[in-house]
Parts: sequence; structure tokens; C-alpha cells
Amino acid sequence: MENILEVKNLCKTYDNFVLKNVTFYLPKGMIMGFIGENGAGKTTTIKAILNIIQSYRGEIHIFGLDNRKYEKKIKEDIGVVLDDMFFPEILTPNDINQTMKGIYQNWDSKKFYDSLKEFSLLPNKQIKTFSKGMRKKLEIITALSHHPKLLLLDEPTSGLDPVARAEVLELFQSFIEEEDCSILLSSHITTDLEHIADYITFINDGEIVLSKTTDELLEQYGIVKCTEKEFKSIEKKDYIKYKKTKYEYEVLVPDKKAFKEKYAIAVIDKITLDDLMVLMIKGEEE
Amino acid sequence: MIGFMKKDLAMMKSNFKLLGILIVVYTVMGFLGEMDISFILPFMCVMIMISTFSYDNYNKWDAYSISFPDGRKNSVKAKYVATIFMILAISVLTLLLSFLIAYAKTKTIPYEQIFVSMLGTIFGTLLVLTFMYPIIYKFGVEKARIVIFLLVFGIVIIGRILTQYLDLSFIAKALSFLENYLVILVILVAILMVFISYKISEKIISKKEF
Repeated sequence: MENILEVKNLCKTYDNFVLKNVTFYLPKGMIMGFIGENGAGKTTTIKAILNIIQSYRGEIHIFGLDNRKYEKKIKEDIGVVLDDMFFPEILTPNDINQTMKGIYQNWDSKKFYDSLKEFSLLPNKQIKTFSKGMRKKLEIITALSHHPKLLLLDEPTSGLDPVARAEVLELFQSFIEEEDCSILLSSHITTDLEHIADYITFINDGEIVLSKTTDELLEQYGIVKCTEKEFKSIEKKDYIKYKKTKYEYEVLVPDKKAFKEKYAIAVIDKITLDDLMVLMIKGEEE
Repeated sequence: MIGFMKKDLAMMKSNFKLLGILIVVYTVMGFLGEMDISFILPFMCVMIMISTFSYDNYNKWDAYSISFPDGRKNSVKAKYVATIFMILAISVLTLLLSFLIAYAKTKTIPYEQIFVSMLGTIFGTLLVLTFMYPIIYKFGVEKARIVIFLLVFGIVIIGRILTQYLDLSFIAKALSFLENYLVILVILVAILMVFISYKISEKIISKKEF
């Protein structure tokens, strides 16, 4: 399958944080959920993809092109929603339309105004008069209105109520169906991703922990709930991490089917991305 | 670049009312024969443009704009072009008003005097832009204010010391032959300093990380 985005061995060093050999691939037409706790490196990775930060090592290819060499060409086809970064709030959607017409060759004013209408956003109101949810919708509409082939979304649903979140996620899904494009969506609200993401890439403390299809992850991985005695009978190679709670052990296993065949432990729960994140971050290895 | 310019000019919209009031005040004061405040309007334009940096900064526009094609380059270029465009537009308006006021009062128009005065004003505003913009791009609006204050303070102190202890009249004498070319010289120096300022700002932004 053709990859729209390829990140290989991306490294970036700050005084108090290091991005270590981040590598993942986003196939064409897919939605990838990019998960990890706050400060794990999601935003830094997205900023590197966009060259907002520059002094990094590694290779990034978008649409098969080097992101530094062909930056201008590539950016014509990328739509972006960045956490807390947008147009100055004294501007109106009308101003955004005028601005973007002069920036993107493919800017589609009709699509922009149709979307504003669909989401009941008034074109002549200043952004500062919008609620957080309305503002987020405007950011997303702005990112979609030049028919991008790749959407890079950094925490696009954070701070939204469940109804607004559902609307926004629906918007992404219809976008991917209509436009045949790909989305890299970073979020720490993992329940959103379980519904729409085809792939999950998990970053922790600047390192990619796993990058798999969502189905593979949710079907194969599992949480074994067992006693201390049962836990001690499990071989180290059969689990990834474990957490000791007040009454039991919660053990993250990479292949629940194989585990069931090997061990006579009854309780193996389906995993959620939340469980996965918590166990990967807070769990112990030995 | 056009898109970025439209955005900067749109941000000035909310200040147009203030500019309109200043134009009325200037016209009334001119007719009443009070002091000449024609320099205020172009200076106001620069100040309003500088205020747009604060809005950009508050909403992290600079980082966001890098996600656009040629975002780094065009955002800087647009800021300079929009500012110069506004300065020239308001200067032409002020010039026409000055002609009108002079003619209404004396039935004659002192073209040369008004031109020279306006040229001085434009040069002064471009000088502010030349120094302020690279400093703003480097340090941000808040720190830039302190840097500018220190810079002006330093220049005044050094100027005072130089004039107090050294006889600088030889410089004036040596440059007296340029008197006839003053207008052309001022224009050339203005273009050169703005160009250098723009190149410095462009370089700062091309390397800046957000």
C-alpha cells in the first residue's frame, strides 16, 4: 500500500526532552491515531513534519517527497489544525476566506462558506466571539477548504463537549470518504480514536512504543486479570507490562488467543486504548 | 504573499476608526492654524501595524502560518509590504489635505515645504520600522519594547557624549556637497535601510523554531 507519510528515525533534542528515532508510516486513505500522554512528543513530531521546528535529524517524506526539499509543493496539499495556534482572534471567517484565497491555489470559497453554514458559524463575526467548540470547528473547516490530501490534526477535539466532539469526528470521516485523503490525528482522548482510526501509533517519552492497525491492536491485545500466584506462573515473554492493584494483577498481553491456549487463566478482558496507555506508561516490566 | 497582506490589512480594520478621527482632528487643527500634526498619521500606521504583532503572538499565528506554502518567507514579506503600503497611502492622503488646508488659508500652496516635511515624516516612520521589525521578530513584541527603549537610550547618551566632547562640525562640512541631492539621498537611504531590515527579519524567521 502506498504511504502518504513516512517518518523515519526522527530525533530532536531539547534541554528536558528527547525525541528518539520516531518511525511510523501512514498509508494512503487511512486515519492514524497518534496517542500518548501530554508531553510525550506528539506535537513535536507534528511540528517536525511541518518544519515548524527545523533542527531535527531523520527523514520525513510526504506524498513520496522530502519535506524539506519540496516544502512549498507539499504544503499546498496539507491541511492543519494545531493545538492553540490559529488566526488572530480579531479577524472574522470572511477575513480568513480572503486570506486563504491568496495563500492556497486550491482554496474553495464555496466549500468554506457551505461548511460555515452547516455548522452555524456567522462569517462576519470576530473569532473572539466564538465559543471554544465553534472556534475549533472553524479551525477544522479552514483546514479542509483547500481539498488537502493529508490532514495533520493536533488535539482537534480537546476541550470540546461530547456532542461537538461527535460532530467533529463525523466531519473527519465524511472528509476521508469524499476526498480520498489521509489523516494523522493526535489526541489523548483515546475513545474518539477507537471509533475512527484505522491505525494507532503510540508514543511514550519521545519513543514510538507501537504502531499497528486498530483492529489488530484491539483484537489481539488483552488484559489478563489474575491472582499473584497465577501471575507468577506467566512467562515474561508472554506479557508486555503488568500493574498490581489492590485485589489483583492486571497484565497486558500481546496475543490473548495464544495466551488463552497456553494458560488456564479465566479472565482475559478486551483492551481499550485507555487501558493500553495506562498500562504501557504506568505498568511495570519485571 | 497577497493572502498574508490581506490578513494584516484586515487586522488594521478595527483601527480605521481611530485613523479616521485623527484625520478629522488633523484637518480641523490645520484649518484653525494650530500646530502641524501631519507626522502623526503615518506614525500611527506603523504603531497600528506593530500592534498586529501582539495579536499574532497571542494566537501563535507565526507558528501556524509556517504550515502554509512558503509561510515563513511570505509572512515577513507581507508585514513589510503592508506597512509600507499603509504609510504611503496615509502620506498621500495627508499630503492632499495639507495642500487643501494651505490653499484654503493662503490661496497658495507651498509645495516644496509640504513635500520636504512629508518626506521627513515618511523617512522617520521607515526608520522605526527598520529597527523595530527585526527586533520584534527576534525577541517578540514585549521584549522588543525593552530592547528599543535601551537602544534609543543608548543612542541618546552616546550622542550627548559625542557632541559634548567632540567637535563634529567637520562631518557637516564634509557632507555639505550632498545638500543638493538631499531628497534623492533620503529616498535611497530609506529604500536601502528597509531592504536590509527586511533581509535581517527574513533570516531571523527562516531559522526560528516555535
